[in-house]
Amino acid sequence: MEIKETLDCKGLSCPMPMMKLAKAIKGLNSGEVLEMLGTDPGTKSDLPKWCEKTGNTIVEEGEVESGVFRFLIQKK
Amino acid sequence: MADQQKEPGILRELFNTFFAKHWPVWVGGVTLGLLNILLFTVKSPWGASGGINNWGENIFKLFGISAFENAAPTSTSLYGVLCLVLILGSFAGALFSKEFALRIPPKGELLKGFIGGALMAIGATLGLGCTIGSFFSGVPALSGGAIVFTIGLFAGTILALKYLLWEMEKWPGMSSGKSFTFLAAPEGKGNWQIWLGWIVSIGTFILAYKVAGTNGVLAWFIISGLLMGLICQRSRFCIVKAFRDPFMTGESDGSVGVMAGLLITLIGFTAIKFFGIGASEISIRAREMTWVFSQFWLRGLIGGFIFGLGMTVAGGCAVGTLWRVGEGQVKLWMAALGFLLISPISKLYIVPAIVNKLPHNMKFKNYLPDYFGYAGAVLIVLLIILVWYVFVKWNERTGKFSAF
Repeated sequence: MEIKETLDCKGLSCPMPMMKLAKAIKGLNSGEVLEMLGTDPGTKSDLPKWCEKTGNTIVEEGEVESGVFRFLIQKK
Repeated sequence: MADQQKEPGILRELFNTFFAKHWPVWVGGVTLGLLNILLFTVKSPWGASGGINNWGENIFKLFGISAFENAAPTSTSLYGVLCLVLILGSFAGALFSKEFALRIPPKGELLKGFIGGALMAIGATLGLGCTIGSFFSGVPALSGGAIVFTIGLFAGTILALKYLLWEMEKWPGMSSGKSFTFLAAPEGKGNWQIWLGWIVSIGTFILAYKVAGTNGVLAWFIISGLLMGLICQRSRFCIVKAFRDPFMTGESDGSVGVMAGLLITLIGFTAIKFFGIGASEISIRAREMTWVFSQFWLRGLIGGFIFGLGMTVAGGCAVGTLWRVGEGQVKLWMAALGFLLISPISKLYIVPAIVNKLPHNMKFKNYLPDYFGYAGAVLIVLLIILVWYVFVKWNERTGKFSAF
């Protein structure tokens, strides 16, 4: 799967990760994939809820190093 | 057979119910509302800015600044202690769920934390309260001043959100750059966090037990504060989110969670005030006027507005800052620092310079039942919550007021 863009939100706390994510997704074309890295525990529940609402898909979710999570999100 | 071996034990399953994933925000709202009612039954409702102000005064006192030599030691300040144990509760909640880590954001974010904290300090001292004292407790306390404070909060939040959106476009350097994460628990490891969580929780209970003999109220505040911190961390109960998200991503979960808490608190507080629970015959009026501050209307409106700006820039209100401190978010450490350093200064120098110029009819204690009766006052608060609910749900569907 080709990753179109990587968004580094490490160290950032609410609301910056979700704001940056919403903006970055806006800049993609339908079907393109965004990689997001972050450390804010809040994002882990905010992001799936936001994707459910907006119709974007989480295609992969995991931890890349201790405390740093990674989401791959495909634009609707 | 292999599957059966993997099945967690009964106690582990119970532990996982609380700490394997986040709780819905409304669960946090309802349980916090119940604890708030119990705090009021025992003494007085939940508040946060007064406690943080107490820390600041004690720090200035430590440095020998004479203006603060009469500051009450934090160990004797109910709210100073409540705020401290709230951090411990959130710390324990983060440890139990292995979510604790020191998260150091880019420099610009640290600066925004400090400035946000300083603005919250000015707003809280000027408007008499924060999102807890003059909103989450103040509105159910049927205070007219709390309602104008809340209107100010909304206006401040919307304006500061516009700033954040502008900053993201035009000044991205503020929120990007080098960041560091320490002490995080890698997946499947880091059980030291759970052990430390037990030490923190049991230690706090022992502390409550020790003070219970001489000061039962303080003991109850210690236990409640610990639970409140833990609940906030697990449910990510955040009043900034409740006000901001409808205008940002359009989400309404945070707002509805706060509304659930307001409703529960409204029922309990009204009963306490109506029946004068916890008051002797003489002080029923004092009981009614608890958490009704002399802020109606301009004083509360200006204070709420400045507080709204600050909490949105910082990314946490007074209590939202405290529980994120416990979780290891260093941006909010800066917000707490800005809050506690500026609050005593603002109280001493800024507030008198402004408030003395306001005529009495812009800063008096407005108790809604004095004007509308208890039924009328409760109905007004219910109507406000209903309008807010309809707005956030309608906005979630239509996205009319959302930025994205």
